[in-house]
Amino acid sequence: MAKPVVEKRYKLSEQVYLWELIKGMGLTWKHFIFNVKASFRPEPHTIPTCWQYPEDRRPIAPNFRGAHMLMLDEEGREKCVGCGMCAKICPANCITVENAKVPEGEEAKYAGKTYSKTFTIDWLRCIFCGFCEEVCPKGAMMLGPEYELARYTPEECLADKSMLLANFHKAKQEGKLRPPREPVPVVGAAAKPGEEKPAASADEKAVTSAAKPKVAVKAKPKAAE
Amino acid sequence: MNDLIIALIKVVFIWVWVLLIAVVMTWVERRGAAMIQDRPGPNRAGPFGLLQPLADGIKLFTKEDIIPAKAKKLLFILGPILFSLPAFSAYAVVPFGDKIVLGGKEIILQVADVNIGFLYIVALGSMAVYGIVVGGWASNNKYSILGGLRATAQLISYEVPWGLALLAIVLVYGTFSLREIALAQQGTFLGILPNWGVFKQPLGFILFIVAAYAEANRVPFDLPEAESEIVSGYHTEYGSMRLGVYLFGEYVNLCTLSALIVTFFFGAWHLPYINMASFLGPISYGIASFLVFFLKVSFFLWLFVWVRWTVPRFRYDQVMGLGWKALIPLGLLNLFLTALAIQLTA
Repeated sequence: MAKPVVEKRYKLSEQVYLWELIKGMGLTWKHFIFNVKASFRPEPHTIPTCWQYPEDRRPIAPNFRGAHMLMLDEEGREKCVGCGMCAKICPANCITVENAKVPEGEEAKYAGKTYSKTFTIDWLRCIFCGFCEEVCPKGAMMLGPEYELARYTPEECLADKSMLLANFHKAKQEGKLRPPREPVPVVGAAAKPGEEKPAASADEKAVTSAAKPKVAVKAKPKAAE
Repeated sequence: MNDLIIALIKVVFIWVWVLLIAVVMTWVERRGAAMIQDRPGPNRAGPFGLLQPLADGIKLFTKEDIIPAKAKKLLFILGPILFSLPAFSAYAVVPFGDKIVLGGKEIILQVADVNIGFLYIVALGSMAVYGIVVGGWASNNKYSILGGLRATAQLISYEVPWGLALLAIVLVYGTFSLREIALAQQGTFLGILPNWGVFKQPLGFILFIVAAYAEANRVPFDLPEAESEIVSGYHTEYGSMRLGVYLFGEYVNLCTLSALIVTFFFGAWHLPYINMASFLGPISYGIASFLVFFLKVSFFLWLFVWVRWTVPRFRYDQVMGLGWKALIPLGLLNLFLTALAIQLTA
């Protein structure tokens, strides 16, 4: 059904248009003066609607998912045990983990008995969904606050272990580490142990902790804080 | 010989000065628009982004110069030149200051004080549309030709009220020379007001400024461009510095029109209630009159920008209706009233 057309009747002052024009120019003048005054102030964020990006950044959300970090525990040991659950869950298939036993004499560096010999994330493939963080039984993976990930070559977008650890150190230094995410409640709890056990068996220690992974995830980073 | 050199210096000086104003205007337009729309605008190149026109110029010069395959080559190249030349030439008769005395020689701050300055300006004002039509036709593009046609129709419609407003001024001052009109605006009118044209011709001023906006193809009458309807009209196919010349010519046009408004209606270089010649030396008076003139011009240049970001574009029939049904009758009425007032007071 077509809308009935109502012809607007204009007052004489509106028909002449000159007065309306002057009113409109008064409005634009107000905006102009406000913004001119604002642009003379020294700080970068003076005009409320605009963020002058490199100098002036919007605050990120508390559970922002940026560049990945490999976490260290409070004693400075790598939490990652190289179980590869993150690689399995990853929908974009961008994580490569190589598992190895911790070599003799280097036990102080790693929290578990095994560790990830290599740990590579292809940031060109990653969709930053955060599944790797949720699935990690050790709370060793976290998506950090860093979001400037543009690089010049594809090779630079392959984040290796040193980069992921550096991300952690940087975030810790800047005090941007957030508390770990609350675990997502799983619907149909009966299916859960069956699903998790085979995956967790990749790491012998994870089998024991698989019964109560949430407790472990919750308790540890609190101490780290 | 000496006069020739002085004339040459004046020509070069005013040419460079107008170019400079046009360059700064591109910055003012973008920054002013931004400020009105609550954003910062170009603020990276230099202090307050003042070097932005330079960056734009470098960009336009280094871009690939494309002439469309089906375009008429000669006319396509000629278009921007035809557009910007009249804009510059019109400045020849505009007095941009009173006079300056150097070494006992009196130099009038005007390139040519011709006694038919009015006709010259009206003629050149209509010349500028050739650049638009030729460019639109040569582009071989439906939007371009539409833009050109619109420009022609708009110019024909608005030349009439513009001419009628000018005629009323001629009646008031009894001369066709722009310098004499400027000189006649010294002192006070009716005892209290400055003796400016705007107080003698208030209706004429409104007619003139509306017609001037239409002549310059500025918002709210930017139908030849109308980027939201006909994809920036006559310069759709233009790129690189050819487009730059078009845009530049527009700002030169603005500068000329603002200077005309100031000369006819706002007392040219005269300050209200103050006679600068009485207390300034011959050289400083010349410079002061020049500065006062361009202070006034800069206000009207800003007014062009201000109106552009306030008023939306008129519909095509509204533009024609305003021109033919409102401005021309008002222009005739203004002419009649002016003639009557002169007849009764003389």
